[in-house]
Amino acid sequence: MSDLLNTLIHDARVWQGRRHGLARPPSHSTGHATLDRLLDHTGWPVGALSECLIDRPGIGELQLVLPLLKQVAESERMAFWINPPCIPYAPALAGANIALEQVVVIHTDAPGDTLWTLENCLRASVTGLVLAWPGNLASRDIRRLQLAAEAGRNVCILFRERHQARQSSPAALRLELEARDDRQLQVQVLKRRGGWPGQPATLEIDGRLGQREPSAPRVITGPWAGSMG
Amino acid sequence: MLWLYLHFPHLLLDHLARSQETPAAMVTVASTSQQVLQVCPLAQQQGVQAGMRLKTALALTPELGIVHTNSTREAELLEQQACWLYHYAAQIVLYPPDGLLLEASSLLRLYRTLPALWQTLENALASRRLTAWLACGITPKAARLLARQNLGQCSDDHTLLAAQVQELPLPATGLETRPLERLARLGLTRLGEVAALPPRELARRLAPETLAHIQQILGQRPDPQHCWQPPHRFQQRVDFMQEVEQSQGLLFPLQPLLNELEEDLLWRQEDTDRLQLTLHHRDHSQQALSIRTAGPEHRASAFLELVRLHLERQPLPAPVIAMTLTVTRFLPRGTTISRDLLGENEDPKEAWQTLIGRLQARLGRGALRQLEPQADHRPEKAWATAGLQPQRRKPPVTQNPPPRPLWLLPSPQPLQQPPQTWLSGPERISSGWWDGERVQRDYYSALLTSGQLAWVYRDDQGHWFVHGWFG
Repeated sequence: MSDLLNTLIHDARVWQGRRHGLARPPSHSTGHATLDRLLDHTGWPVGALSECLIDRPGIGELQLVLPLLKQVAESERMAFWINPPCIPYAPALAGANIALEQVVVIHTDAPGDTLWTLENCLRASVTGLVLAWPGNLASRDIRRLQLAAEAGRNVCILFRERHQARQSSPAALRLELEARDDRQLQVQVLKRRGGWPGQPATLEIDGRLGQREPSAPRVITGPWAGSMG
Repeated sequence: MLWLYLHFPHLLLDHLARSQETPAAMVTVASTSQQVLQVCPLAQQQGVQAGMRLKTALALTPELGIVHTNSTREAELLEQQACWLYHYAAQIVLYPPDGLLLEASSLLRLYRTLPALWQTLENALASRRLTAWLACGITPKAARLLARQNLGQCSDDHTLLAAQVQELPLPATGLETRPLERLARLGLTRLGEVAALPPRELARRLAPETLAHIQQILGQRPDPQHCWQPPHRFQQRVDFMQEVEQSQGLLFPLQPLLNELEEDLLWRQEDTDRLQLTLHHRDHSQQALSIRTAGPEHRASAFLELVRLHLERQPLPAPVIAMTLTVTRFLPRGTTISRDLLGENEDPKEAWQTLIGRLQARLGRGALRQLEPQADHRPEKAWATAGLQPQRRKPPVTQNPPPRPLWLLPSPQPLQQPPQTWLSGPERISSGWWDGERVQRDYYSALLTSGQLAWVYRDDQGHWFVHGWFG
């Protein structure tokens, strides 16, 4: 039996995958060392969809994309925010050194418009990054967006709800985000290209409260703190 | 001097035929009489002739389209033709309702030969699917009379042209009925015979105006012309034989209109960012659509795309019988390099305009906003939205700003349960006493039990609110 195998291998009639290095798909570093390691240094895929599954805003999800946003704005390409759940706060973005003239916020009314807008933004060559809160999407819509992102070679991050983790999705990268009690962000890779889903990792999200964040909580609680609750 | 005259035998019908996908036989009829005035070539093939009674014409061609003449419409149409003719010739005189006169001798320096000029005009007419009879003449009136008889010849030989005019029968010389009758009673039938008479004898027998008219035809008396000046705007109108009920049906006739606009803009070396499209309904009401591009633009394909998106957004309230495209705003053209030398990369500025123009056309101008920090201490007033501009000044960056959340809630929400951990604070913001929207708040950042990092405040009545999330 092993003779037979040896001959097959010798004649090069069997293709051996491990000899070929995987072609690395183009990507942007996430700017977070832990997450980069978790993703095997592939980062945010370019020309493909990424999904962040998240239940409510305010757990550090924007901090996750902030380094990417900064990179895109510096390269003079546009970053589109489509249907954000709250107002992206201009002073905070300016404080994080993001060039606001490269940021465009779009609100759409009809679901058809949302998809159309996403697709057009993704196909354009001036776009660098699309952040979208699309609501419910059918799998075939995601496929359409995936094709559009491929055509425009853009990074697209969709923020969707966590219960959609069970749905299959053609997105190239799927991350499930969860808040931890110690203000850190737990990231679980549900799917990525060229690798297996990884273990959950904890990301230290610093600087959410600015540079002057004290190491120990130093809060003047005042007399009213007791009246709460 | 050499003059060139263009006579449009059925301009209104040509104009209507341009907006039809399938050609149909049409005639024009004066609104008062029942006589056919102008006949389109298709109707001519079926035997309809000018001067026929309408009933006869209808018997020959039951599906005949009937158009009532309208002198103001015809004058407008003639001016439309003058606009494009101005690209080829500088001195144009309008002869409403159906003629244009060009001064040709100065044009010969540009076109070198008369046949070249003639051919250029013929090509331009053919590309616009217009029928025109051209004629040369040594006087304006001679050119006009020859063109109206369709006797025009491409020649600048003065003796030949003079002989042609001499041969004209008197009824074709544009004289009024009474002098015509008088000349006929004298036994004169051709213009040459009248011209051969001594002027003194003619002056005794004819009214001074008649004599002046004949002498102007022959070039024995000056005939000053008033040249037309093109208006500084672009306006074109299409009329439909059949009412258009679907907005998609407007796109087909719009295409040549936009092509003409592109040609006009190219010729002006200018761009525009605003089109005015007026839809005329049968009950004389109008619907005006203002189509704006994100930046200066001249390509018909880009305009068509935007108009298509506009029309998809709003259905037609009533069937449309005509449509006018007007452009009054012209912008100087910048350097347009749509592709780099190797044709690989798009010009980013142009790509930006295309994308933003498309999005604004479909979503409305208000849907796309850019953010700007404002100099105000109140958090809800410390930001503003602005419309999109291709080049924006960079907003000033404040040094060492206090921590601010990346998400701001559209309006503060009451805090439902006490936070798990207080993280920093308070930051007192007391401001706005000058405009009646005073705030007095103490801001804290706190971790809620849901895991969200919130920006909460306590107002001066002691109520607690969430105002933002540290996303």
